[in-house]
Amino acid sequence: MNTQKISQFVRSKAFLVIVGCFAILALVPLFITDNFFLTLLTLIIIFSIYASSWNLLASSGQGSLGHAVFLGIGGFASAMIGGSIATALAALSGLDRLPIGVASVTLQVLVMILGGLISAGLGLLIGLACVRLKAWYLAMVTFGFSVIVESVSSQLDFLTHGIDGFAPATLVPKGYPFYILVTASAFASILIMYLIMNKFRLGLAFRAIHGNEAEAKMIGINTAKYKLIAFVISTFFAGMAGSLYVYFIRYVDNSIFAPANSFAPLIMAVIGGLGTVIGPIIGAGILISVQQLLALPSVSEGLHGALGGFFPGIADVGPPLSLIIIGVILVLIVIFMPKGVISLYDKFNSSGEREKKKAPEEKKK
Amino acid sequence: MQKKLLAIVVVLIIAVSAVAAWQLVPQTSAREIRIGLVAPISGQPLGQDMSRAAQLAVDEINAAGGIYVAAWGAYAPIKLISIDTVDDSPGNAVTPVKREVESGNVDLLIGGYGSAGTLANEVIAIDNKVPYIITGASNALVTRRGPQGNYGGLSSTDSQAITDADGMSYIFHYCTVTYDYGKTVVDFCNEVMKPMVAPDRDFRLAILYRNDAFGTGVEKATKYWIETENLPIMLIERAYDPKATTYQTDITAIADNNPDAVLIVDNPDKTPTIIKQGLNDVGLKTVYFAVENNQDPTFYSLLGSTGDKQMLEAKSDPFQNPSYLPAIQTYLMNFTEAYDVMPGVNGAVTYDAFFIAKDAIERAGTLDKAAVRDALEATNLPQSLLITKTGRIQFDTGINYHEINALTFMEQLTWNAPMDTLRAQIVWPATAPGISNFKQTDFVLPDNYVAGHP
Amino acid sequence: MDISTIILTLVWGVAIGCVYILLATGLNIIFGVMKLVNFAHGQLLMIGAYLTWTLTVTFGLNAYLAIVFTMPIVAVLGIAVERLTFRRILGTDKLNEIFISLGLIYIFENVALLIWGDRSKQIISPFNNMILDLSSISITYDRVVAVVVVVLALVAFGLLIKKTKIGLAMQATSQKDTAAQLMGVNIEKIYMITFALGAALAACAGGLYGIIFSFNYQIGAMPTIIGFAIIILGGLGSIKGAIVGGLLYGIAEQLATLFLGGIWGSAVAFALLIVVLIVRPKGIFGVKGE
Repeated sequence: MNTQKISQFVRSKAFLVIVGCFAILALVPLFITDNFFLTLLTLIIIFSIYASSWNLLASSGQGSLGHAVFLGIGGFASAMIGGSIATALAALSGLDRLPIGVASVTLQVLVMILGGLISAGLGLLIGLACVRLKAWYLAMVTFGFSVIVESVSSQLDFLTHGIDGFAPATLVPKGYPFYILVTASAFASILIMYLIMNKFRLGLAFRAIHGNEAEAKMIGINTAKYKLIAFVISTFFAGMAGSLYVYFIRYVDNSIFAPANSFAPLIMAVIGGLGTVIGPIIGAGILISVQQLLALPSVSEGLHGALGGFFPGIADVGPPLSLIIIGVILVLIVIFMPKGVISLYDKFNSSGEREKKKAPEEKKK
Repeated sequence: MQKKLLAIVVVLIIAVSAVAAWQLVPQTSAREIRIGLVAPISGQPLGQDMSRAAQLAVDEINAAGGIYVAAWGAYAPIKLISIDTVDDSPGNAVTPVKREVESGNVDLLIGGYGSAGTLANEVIAIDNKVPYIITGASNALVTRRGPQGNYGGLSSTDSQAITDADGMSYIFHYCTVTYDYGKTVVDFCNEVMKPMVAPDRDFRLAILYRNDAFGTGVEKATKYWIETENLPIMLIERAYDPKATTYQTDITAIADNNPDAVLIVDNPDKTPTIIKQGLNDVGLKTVYFAVENNQDPTFYSLLGSTGDKQMLEAKSDPFQNPSYLPAIQTYLMNFTEAYDVMPGVNGAVTYDAFFIAKDAIERAGTLDKAAVRDALEATNLPQSLLITKTGRIQFDTGINYHEINALTFMEQLTWNAPMDTLRAQIVWPATAPGISNFKQTDFVLPDNYVAGHP
Repeated sequence: MDISTIILTLVWGVAIGCVYILLATGLNIIFGVMKLVNFAHGQLLMIGAYLTWTLTVTFGLNAYLAIVFTMPIVAVLGIAVERLTFRRILGTDKLNEIFISLGLIYIFENVALLIWGDRSKQIISPFNNMILDLSSISITYDRVVAVVVVVLALVAFGLLIKKTKIGLAMQATSQKDTAAQLMGVNIEKIYMITFALGAALAACAGGLYGIIFSFNYQIGAMPTIIGFAIIILGGLGSIKGAIVGGLLYGIAEQLATLFLGGIWGSAVAFALLIVVLIVRPKGIFGVKGE
């Protein structure tokens, strides 16, 4: 992609839409000042990056069941590095801890990128092991890596402190400032992923491999190379998301490698719309909203009042209920709406003038 | 296509805002004291016990008029806000606490069960300076990792250290810590068991622990006391993956080292399986110690007759009737009357914490968080369901920062065949502050006990 | 270290391997016939354990008899799962199976949590606490019975496949379903029976699991992954491979636990799996794999 294309893209509608969306997102909390809303939105945006990174890997035909490894490595690395640099800088200036300011914000951005890079480094190694594998084999091996990495992290506890866990230094104040950091990072990463998947030749190669790997090989695509590239890019952004996540929840420990964190991006991407740029974002919104809303004390109290009598074995029906809802949504989506919630929109529009234009495209797929 | 994207995003934003707006609707206008119960309500068996105990305490306090707040010149009821941490992993344990605390929804927090989840979510209380009475999480770092606790023995630049002294002062630990019960186990081994089984050699104690914040905390504490007190005890260590379901091989490895007793560090849903696998499968006929959080109906029912003559370390025994403490008897009666099930120890401590909070708020005369913190620090109440070393509830301000200095004791289980139940009796120590005739019976070795050897 | 310690460890490896083999066999025939992997298979094991528990507690049934009653119930559940979900996505992207399974896992686990609560349970068998004392090894009766049950189930299963008409039809389908269809085999019926059989085996494994270990609603996940790792080791679709893989996995895990410590058990087993797959992407015995 050359400069001309870039300038063309910058002037395109797609770019404006993405910029517009994130600008709106960045401003929304100024009008709705509820903290719950801000927490919810921050989580959704962080997971949007994470789900998008999974989605990019899936667009090359590789479904990972162990992406939490990269979320976790990014989180651990950036929390550890951020902590030591902050301490060192504070010691240099003779202070107790690094004051929040330009230096700390720069540090936050720096460790986020470092977290991504370290995660991508590991992604390269794991990707090398995975390029020959497909479908369930790949799923199993990536899952296996998440088990192994967790064990290694607890074995190297003197280094990682992953068993007790630890709180990363505060570099960007919580609330709106942190939210802006998250939104800006999401904007940059999702834009880059959009470009890779839709504007670069890379994306074309990914789709070719996803469509039919043998065929892709025949037409001269170095499938192993492109699969590896997808792995590295995806794990970079997963690591970045991990960094934001641990600085947001203010803690990191080995449970970040848990299977639930590996499954989350998959569920988000599938519900929203696999292979699309906006799909994972919608999926993240749905999944996190369902989970967080049903976990609200007022909601779970209401649920318990209504349903508690039927289920005496459990004190809070909210969380299991939200997981059942998510499971049902997932199954229904895969069966009835294999292109995700976003395809609703195509359907809604296809009754209009675009019907003719769309039809051949869909057949090709 | 681009228009569609925009439309979708707008719809999404509208949906989320609608939800937020609904959330903004003020739920109550009357003055009340909002106490958040932080517990793994839906994901861990003990969460329900904590939730029931909290509700019982709130009902009792509210029935008696509520809490008197001088600044308001009136009594106000407690509104219990259940904060479900699901499985207590930090990922699940932090977000709900963050949500409630940062929306200004709670005046005070009580609870916390697992060490890992609690170490994580207390950071939110520290950051936001909300008083948090932690009633679980025996890992000592909970209150010691700040400057007041000398960073739990770590350096101040260690990533686990928390340098925010003011923030740390809002954390209170109404629970035994691993150091308390590590000491009880090694002292019991040294004073009671060693003369019986190994009078002229080192006592061989094995510790089998789950490899998480809780298990490693107990392991460190056990090792610490053996070294500090210079006890003639040899420690055999073995850790396992918290997700494991089979333990025979770990126990086989321990049996290979011929221990005199085995300390098992896990939760009430796992410990019985481990003891059963040890006794029945591996055939390691020895004394097994279960740690204090196992004082729960799940433990008793899963262990069944296999538990005969096995040991349980305890910080409180809500099952005994008649009890060594009248308060426990009342609690047992009220709890079973309200819920028709037996209470567990984790709920019992949570129950107490509500009365500690009530006392502190009344003395503070306001809900101002710093004032409540100061009042909590000055707490001086008679012991309730937990026995403390001084017989009173006082939060330490020394190196055992904001800890309660609770006393743990050893109980031996006996299978009562006609009643089809497992019963526990206190075998050590002989006395406790403010309680005469504390010890109820003598410790005996199990029938088929085989002593270890070097 | 005592040699008896190592022998004992091998015994544990085999004993644990047995329950996994049962689960893996179910996963495996479903794969063999339908070319489909149900990652929610372990949740059928979990449901099997709970149903067995319910039957023993509410009706006072003998635990092993209860397993016999549980198997058809879970088989029906398996049929429902196959009809309502997997059948609808057969032939689409392979990733869809993983997605559906994940949805099913969330549904099953949390429905079980709502119905049976969050406290761990254990099934009390008539041989509770009875121990078979061999000179250097003592082993519980329940474990011996479990091994016997597994062997019986596998033999019965083998006979069914080799000697009955349905079994032959299943074999034909597993080789090439279009050909089988041409020969007049009702593919949909075969799929249904296969899924039912797999589910029944999982229920049996669940009952045995519940007798040997305490269990809660989350126990399905690890056994599925292990069961799946086992059939990958042995090669997807190969029954012989599943048995060898099961024993290998169980032994590797237990030896790693013995020599490296329990925290390494599953990590080493997975490392083994990864190495096998890197060297032989279709598993040790795998020829038919996709």
